[in-house]
Amino acid sequence: MKNNSKVVIVLLAIVALSLIAACVPAQPAPVTVVETVVVEKEGETITVVETVEVEKIVEVEKEVFKEVSPVAYNSMHGDPEPRRVDEMLVQMFNEQNPDTPVDQSTINHEDFKQAIRAYLVADPAPDVMTWFAGNRARFFIDKGLILDISDVWEEQGWNEDYPKGFRAMSSVDGKQYFLPSSWYWWAIFYRKSIFEEQGITPPETWDELLTTCDTLNEQGIIPITIGTKFRWTAAAWFDYINMRLNGPEFHLNLMLGKESYEDPRVKAVFEKWTELFEHNCFIEDAAAYSWQDALDPLNRGEAAMYLMGQFITDSVAEEVQDDIDFFRFPIIDPDQPIGEDAPTDGYFMSANAKNAEGGKKFLAFMGSKEAQTIMVEELGRLPVHSGVDPGLFNPMQQKGIELIQGADLVVQFYDRDTTPEMADAGMNGMMAFWDDPEAIDDILADLEAVRQEVFAEEE
Amino acid sequence: MAVTSPTVHQKQKMNWTPYLFLIGPLALYLVWIIGPMLYTFYLSLTDWDGISPEAKYVGLENFEALFSSLGRRVPSAFEYSLSNNLKWLLTFITVPVGIGLGLAMVLNQDVKGDRFFKMGIFLPQVLSLPVIALIWSYGVYSPRGGLLVSLLNMGIDDPPAMLAEKHLVIWAIILAAAWRQVGYIMILYVAGLKNVDPTLLDASLVDGANAWERFRHVIFPLLAPVTTIVVVISIIDSLRSFDMVWVMTKGGPANASSVLAVLMYIQAFNNYKMGLGAATAVILFAISLVFIIAYLSRVMKDELEY
Amino acid sequence: MATQTETLSGVTTAAVNRKKSNLLGRIALYSFLIIFTLSYMTPVFSALLTSVRTQDDISLNGFFSAPREIVLQNYAQAWSQGGVNKYLLNSFIITIPALIGTIFLSSLSAYALARYRFRGNRPIYFMYVAGTMLPFQILLLPVFLLTNKLGLYNTYWSVILIHTAFQLGFCTFVLRNFMRTIPGEIMDAARIDGANEFGIYWRIVMPLTVPAIAAVATLEFTWIFNDYLWAIILLQNDALKPVTAGLSTLQGQFVTNWPLIVAGALIATVPTLIVFFALLKNFDRHQFSGHDDGF
Repeated sequence: MKNNSKVVIVLLAIVALSLIAACVPAQPAPVTVVETVVVEKEGETITVVETVEVEKIVEVEKEVFKEVSPVAYNSMHGDPEPRRVDEMLVQMFNEQNPDTPVDQSTINHEDFKQAIRAYLVADPAPDVMTWFAGNRARFFIDKGLILDISDVWEEQGWNEDYPKGFRAMSSVDGKQYFLPSSWYWWAIFYRKSIFEEQGITPPETWDELLTTCDTLNEQGIIPITIGTKFRWTAAAWFDYINMRLNGPEFHLNLMLGKESYEDPRVKAVFEKWTELFEHNCFIEDAAAYSWQDALDPLNRGEAAMYLMGQFITDSVAEEVQDDIDFFRFPIIDPDQPIGEDAPTDGYFMSANAKNAEGGKKFLAFMGSKEAQTIMVEELGRLPVHSGVDPGLFNPMQQKGIELIQGADLVVQFYDRDTTPEMADAGMNGMMAFWDDPEAIDDILADLEAVRQEVFAEEE
Repeated sequence: MAVTSPTVHQKQKMNWTPYLFLIGPLALYLVWIIGPMLYTFYLSLTDWDGISPEAKYVGLENFEALFSSLGRRVPSAFEYSLSNNLKWLLTFITVPVGIGLGLAMVLNQDVKGDRFFKMGIFLPQVLSLPVIALIWSYGVYSPRGGLLVSLLNMGIDDPPAMLAEKHLVIWAIILAAAWRQVGYIMILYVAGLKNVDPTLLDASLVDGANAWERFRHVIFPLLAPVTTIVVVISIIDSLRSFDMVWVMTKGGPANASSVLAVLMYIQAFNNYKMGLGAATAVILFAISLVFIIAYLSRVMKDELEY
Repeated sequence: MATQTETLSGVTTAAVNRKKSNLLGRIALYSFLIIFTLSYMTPVFSALLTSVRTQDDISLNGFFSAPREIVLQNYAQAWSQGGVNKYLLNSFIITIPALIGTIFLSSLSAYALARYRFRGNRPIYFMYVAGTMLPFQILLLPVFLLTNKLGLYNTYWSVILIHTAFQLGFCTFVLRNFMRTIPGEIMDAARIDGANEFGIYWRIVMPLTVPAIAAVATLEFTWIFNDYLWAIILLQNDALKPVTAGLSTLQGQFVTNWPLIVAGALIATVPTLIVFFALLKNFDRHQFSGHDDGF
């Protein structure tokens, strides 16, 4: 009993303390900043006064209370490097704008996707949030949950400084809602040393790609590594084969639900895909690996290529970093325009934002040339602001920019271009195909059924 | 064991005492849990997307959609979920229960340092999920350099990649989940064993019963309340299972390891179809309810009457 | 005759034999336990190993390989980057009240359900159990909406209340079943002695239920402490976040520094293990046993 009472007492004490702490209002109250205006005080030896004339000012130390209205900023950039830069930028802004300091909260990327629906309807809603361009943003904009920031675009001159494509991606019905801030390109990244050793030059056509696979297989090297456990890596292959075979416009229309999944052109994509299986291009048991797990063979020199976004360079082992280069996804049909995946991240504001003015100030800062330059220098991402000095780009970034500039159409990525439900069904279909290519007709029929249901609602 | 039959002069009067005990907790529970639960049931009849201010009533459409997805060549997520949950259920009410009970019995004896053993077994419950996923999917099941494959390679050619094979993936996950569950069950049985009156045990010793007979006829029946708890929990947990699947495969590949809770989550939160997710939850709830009511009713019949 | 000496030596031999087989038995027992527990913990040990390496090392050399170099900075980094110093207090502010609240309230319910006959006993009991049947994720939005309406959004109370309420189901269920094992005579005797109902509950039944309470408290602490989804949905302010939410940000969108995450996760297990250790002491029910069987 004595043991129990002791435990109970200790626990009760903790409870009491916790309850007291919990009762302290945790709502972000306006922070008062005490600014001390020090004026020369007669008689005090605070500073060395050079001037002989001592100003006979009556005031002494005056305490000025300034009302500060914080800006609530929720970020999903948890990755170490992006987060570091994010925090750096916030700090810069806070120094320049002490009366509207940003209150930053970083959430795990996955959880953010869940939390955002709470954020947008909560009271108080956060002011600024990170998010993706494309369909994902569109979804919320259409529901009236996002603040119109056309005025910020206008004031900051972004209508001129941001390339047309990015402006288009941020607008709905002529008004801007989204601030794009960084993007990256997709390509086939490869180990230079392996290619050199095997005397391979980066393939430019589909047939060359297949030959490359054969050559590598003969040498016991896995041609293409990929981790499809979480599906999106497979979707990249769909995107590119579709764009190269049928043209990016068809691809985009398919994403928007305007084309049928049972169109023979879609099936043709999977037939081409099967050729990759026939030539043993991919690593075995791809579905057992996350995208990052599948990096191991590339790191170890056991595999040669990986179709991936530019962020792969953040993750390859340090010893391997200088050995990585990329080439554009091979051409299948030379008559088709060239489309590329270039997912774009950015910011938007909640329509219920408590501090819209402060939020807009913050956005203006984040979209400025200054902030964009920092993102380029520190993160190696590509900026949206065209005023950023191109001399800052390292060779790989230059190459990436050329890749995108050389594209006829730039799209976001399968699961950002089409609705979430369609993306979910589509990617599951691709995984089912990977497992059982013979079932493709049934798979496509199922996908078509989903498409009709999903996009019918939108009409 | 006649206990609280109202004393003579209270027989006709209503005994308010139990209600007084119940008011506080019940109020909280009704508002915070039962309320949202009923709201969820209502949502299953709508097409709410989880964010718009209005939701349209659509009747049983969501349920129709789910059930009509059964029987396709490429099984739907719902179909996989039902069979996977069933496999999970059958495993959970046998394996972790048996092992947990066995460990509790062993550790209940005078064992030095038994707290450390208990802690070791309980540790999987405490470890955060991403780490468990890492250990099992990367460390154990990885086809390149994983523990399982290294072990199997000693006997089998071309061992399977557990998480990539659609017929094996759910078992791989269930194994990891069972590994995690054992400590939980063990703790409950440890408490239950401490509850057992040792004089009854001693009596059976004197009667000359051997260990197995003692267990079967004395200890196990005395553990009945704990076994009730454990079985109910195992049923509920196996039908509710989400965490392990989510971190290891998110229901893949191509829904092969999907379970009802994961399906529900993807529908509600990824696909913005809260109504459909709620419908899946309702089905999950209904299945649990059937099992639990059947089981508990039987148990309560055997419970001693007051 | 042979009786006394023989019996004596017979007993002695038997005693010696029992002692011998006892010793063998104990060796077997401990060997089994050690081997079993250690192999059971292999995954955990591999996690420990991972936490002192670099991500590159694992990628290049494999998960189960010997580390090329031992690094301890993962722990320091997890601590600061995961915000452990910032958020740990929040975790306690949320967990302790919720834990006490749920155990206290469910013990009240359990007592009523276990020891009284009254109308609605069975339905209410089933209702508590039914409340545990739904995966909590589906309740995220309804509870969020409720919290928002009550004006509790973005406060500690929102999380404390949901945890308290949600765990009531499980705790009531468990405690009710344990409380039923208490013989009624004890309570009758107390009544005759003039104790009131609450006194019986507090002074008689609760102490007898201590093993169950300890077990439940251990489990509840683990679950409440390790939760973060509720925190993410119901809290927005960075200053309020529990440590689990902070640690989850270590997991990036693309890149995951696994050793870092593992280090963070291992740090997060420490409070729970301390509680576990402390509570295990309370598994004895002193009132009953004349002797202690246990530690």
